[in-house]
Amino acid sequence: MRIQRLQTRIIVLFVALLALVQVAAFWFVNATNSRNAETRVAEELNVGQRVFARLLEQNAEKLKLSARVLASDFAFREAIATHDTGTIGSALANHGARIGAEAMVFVDLEGKVVSDTLSPRGASRAFEYPALLKADRNAANASMEVLDERAFQLVAVPVMAPLPIGWVVMGFAVDDRLASDLRQLTELEVSFMLDGQPGRRVLASTLDLREQQSLLADMPWGASSATRQIMNIGGVDHQALVITLDDNDHARIVAVLHRSLGDAMASSERLRNMLFFLAAISLAMSILGSIAVARNITRPLEELATVAARIEKGDYTAPVSLKRADEIGVLASSLNHMRGGIADREKRILKLAYEDPLTDLANRSRFSNELEQAITQAALGDLRLTILMMDLDRFKYVNDTLGHGVGDHVLREVSVRLQRTVTGAECIARLGGDEFAILVRHANDDSSETARRIIAALEAPILYEGQPLDVGTSIGIAHYPEHGRDAQTLVRNADIAMYAAKRNKTGFATYDQHYDTSQQEHLSLLSELRRAVERHELRLHYQPKVSLRSSHVSAVEALIRWEHPTRGLVPPAQFIPFAEHTGYIKVLTRWVIREAVRQCGEWLRSGLALQVSVNISARDLMNRELPELVAELLAQHDVTPGLLCLEITESGFMEDPAHAQKVLDRLDELGVKLSIDDYGTGYSSLSYIMKLPVQELKIDRSFISRMATDEEISTIVQSTIDLGHNLGLQVVAEGVEDAASWELLRTLGCDDAQGFFMSRPLDPQALAKWIRVNHGSFRADSKATPSVAGTA
Amino acid sequence: MKPARVIAASLALLGSAGASAADLALDIRDAAGRPIADAVAYAQPAGEAPPARAGTRAVIDQVNKTFVPRVTIVQSGTQVFFPNSDNIRHSIYSFSPAKTFTTKLYSGREAAPVLFDKTGLVVLGCNIHDNMVAWVFIVDTPWFARSGTDGLVTLKALPDGEYTITTSAPAGGFKSREMRVLVDGSAASPVRIPVALEAGS
Repeated sequence: MRIQRLQTRIIVLFVALLALVQVAAFWFVNATNSRNAETRVAEELNVGQRVFARLLEQNAEKLKLSARVLASDFAFREAIATHDTGTIGSALANHGARIGAEAMVFVDLEGKVVSDTLSPRGASRAFEYPALLKADRNAANASMEVLDERAFQLVAVPVMAPLPIGWVVMGFAVDDRLASDLRQLTELEVSFMLDGQPGRRVLASTLDLREQQSLLADMPWGASSATRQIMNIGGVDHQALVITLDDNDHARIVAVLHRSLGDAMASSERLRNMLFFLAAISLAMSILGSIAVARNITRPLEELATVAARIEKGDYTAPVSLKRADEIGVLASSLNHMRGGIADREKRILKLAYEDPLTDLANRSRFSNELEQAITQAALGDLRLTILMMDLDRFKYVNDTLGHGVGDHVLREVSVRLQRTVTGAECIARLGGDEFAILVRHANDDSSETARRIIAALEAPILYEGQPLDVGTSIGIAHYPEHGRDAQTLVRNADIAMYAAKRNKTGFATYDQHYDTSQQEHLSLLSELRRAVERHELRLHYQPKVSLRSSHVSAVEALIRWEHPTRGLVPPAQFIPFAEHTGYIKVLTRWVIREAVRQCGEWLRSGLALQVSVNISARDLMNRELPELVAELLAQHDVTPGLLCLEITESGFMEDPAHAQKVLDRLDELGVKLSIDDYGTGYSSLSYIMKLPVQELKIDRSFISRMATDEEISTIVQSTIDLGHNLGLQVVAEGVEDAASWELLRTLGCDDAQGFFMSRPLDPQALAKWIRVNHGSFRADSKATPSVAGTA
Repeated sequence: MKPARVIAASLALLGSAGASAADLALDIRDAAGRPIADAVAYAQPAGEAPPARAGTRAVIDQVNKTFVPRVTIVQSGTQVFFPNSDNIRHSIYSFSPAKTFTTKLYSGREAAPVLFDKTGLVVLGCNIHDNMVAWVFIVDTPWFARSGTDGLVTLKALPDGEYTITTSAPAGGFKSREMRVLVDGSAASPVRIPVALEAGS
């Protein structure tokens, strides 16, 4: 199994190494010890052997000396000479008692035992060991012999008078006392054993009886003298030294010096136990130590791992608190730096991901996130939210004519003003291009007020290098939860409201169900609109343009009508913006131009020369093929180019003025009349308009309708008319609905007028009839005639 | 002491007629033919031997912690004197049955003479000096002699007659050898008889 944890690995390694060393040391010491023990026992045996030999020698000397003393005792000799056996016996006993020699024998020259302390009545026998009896007193030898079934160290000394007259034989018994004396001297167990006639037996021993039996049983009798043996005595291993003391035909006496190896090992065993104990303790301590070391390493590592895991989860707040001078400390500080680095980079990435680099506002992603979070929270807390979507009017114009640098400047300035104006906003974001969004978290019923303030803030021209730039805005407002319960819906609805505001030129609009319906209808509208073209559900109605000076009708404006088979008449406001949005306006415009030119041609052939005005959108101005299409249609229907007038709104050419200019120039070349529609609603630069090849200026109906009641407006209208005239343009007033306006316009010197006061838009037949009835001109005083209106 | 082996030897010793005595020389050697010193020989007549004359004396001196001579042969009834020529004292004893005695420690001529009145072999020792040993042969005949280093023993003036001649030496453990000799004074003299003695250590 592989050990995964570093800590465990360190501990295992440490402990294994130490255990290895311990085992080696233990083995070594143990081996040395047992070797030492054996060597020591062997040495002890050697020493014991020497001591033993020396002791026997000393005993022999003692015996010899004593025997000599006795042998040279005059009285003793006299007793011998006089054959005084009783005296001899008592002298022997007495002398023997002095040195503890149990065996005292006097042997005469014939080798007969004269007196014997061991068996006082066993005299007159031949002495068993005549070899001991030597005439030379100095040649007296000690030897181990058996007497009376016991072993004795015997010495025979001749009694000289002065020539030998017999021998004094003295002997120390080989008994337990001798054995224990020897043990005292040598610290060895000593046993004397006999292999003789009555059988093998232990003569004397320091062992107890049981051990003696064991020894006897295990005794290697065949072993030669002074060899070491391992013997098992009483179940314990002994190292033994067998020393042959006497070996003759009858008997063999051996001394066995032995020592229990166990005893000898006892000290080494103690040492081993101590060593074992120490080994155990050091092993335990090494385990603790290695745990401590491992912890010392792994704990900070774990801490680092925790920090790393935190960083992995994206939490960069907690720095690594590890302060160490070692490698781990370095690692920790590196991790810390890395943490900081990652935090910084993430901040930058987040900034890039969630912030608009140009304005430092939130970007679309961030706004979406914020909105979703806000919605989640609002859902929980039953709160309200408001989002405001806005885009800039005429931004594309600024960007294209003045360059991106200026555009960027405008965007930055707008963002600054937004931030300054909308203080309580949760999030102000630039969604892209000139599109901005604002999220207001709290239930703000004053969102309209906010929108107004934004508009007001943007009313002041933005200065670029001292030059003022006019940027307008349209704002759509949507509230959570009533205008949508999810971010997507809210944004879409705010967008819808914004387009409504733009469309209605109201500056801002709060979302309304109505917009939404139309919005929802849009999708089906697109297919239906396509069908409408194919099925000829579209109609063109024409509103007369009446000369204020001559009251003559020389021109009409073609206005599109959709006679939906189920919905009935669909007002243009409901599908034109949609068509503009989807690009279908191109198809519509083409159809309108074709129809208008065809109608114009038809009228022309019926003798009615009416100039027909057609509204074209900004998108149509992008269409380079438009002039060719127009030229083709004019040629096809044999219509003079001057009979076609194309009306363009200010915003129409402001979106891409350069391109619009080209298209307009081309149309102008064709001889088509060009008109600026809805003049006054936009903020178009008059100086720019001057460059356009337009011949007509149509004042927006919003001025005309309020002109009669508002002095200021009438002044504007007056100056606009003057301006148009000064520029050499024909000025047309739209939305003339009453006689007062009619009169006023006439007074102000306006060229033409268009409106319900003269006629509402009429189908071609109705228009032709209207013209016929009015004889080609309009008389304001006859306006009251209901028949006119009634027939329209 | 083992009984002497009696060698029956019938020797006709030639001697001159009319002469009343003859000298008998014994050439005592060991088995290897080396002369044995301090060997003794004595002739026991078949008949009665004349007793020792009154006042017969012998001297065994102690010189340099040895008895001088080492071997002495005397006829029973001889008084033996033990002068001490050393400047140390000696105490002479004998446990031999032929004559058991002991002197006190003495020096010079303090010791009383000892009368050896029984035949036999007496071993003399000194109580002080274990190494001192001397032998005294006490015989019942006046014809005896001791060999010198040449191993020759001369028995002088042996009257004609039949004798048992005994030879012995400490070197042979005093094993004696006996032989019968017929002394005839008419025989040429001296007569020299080789004797081989066991010379044990």
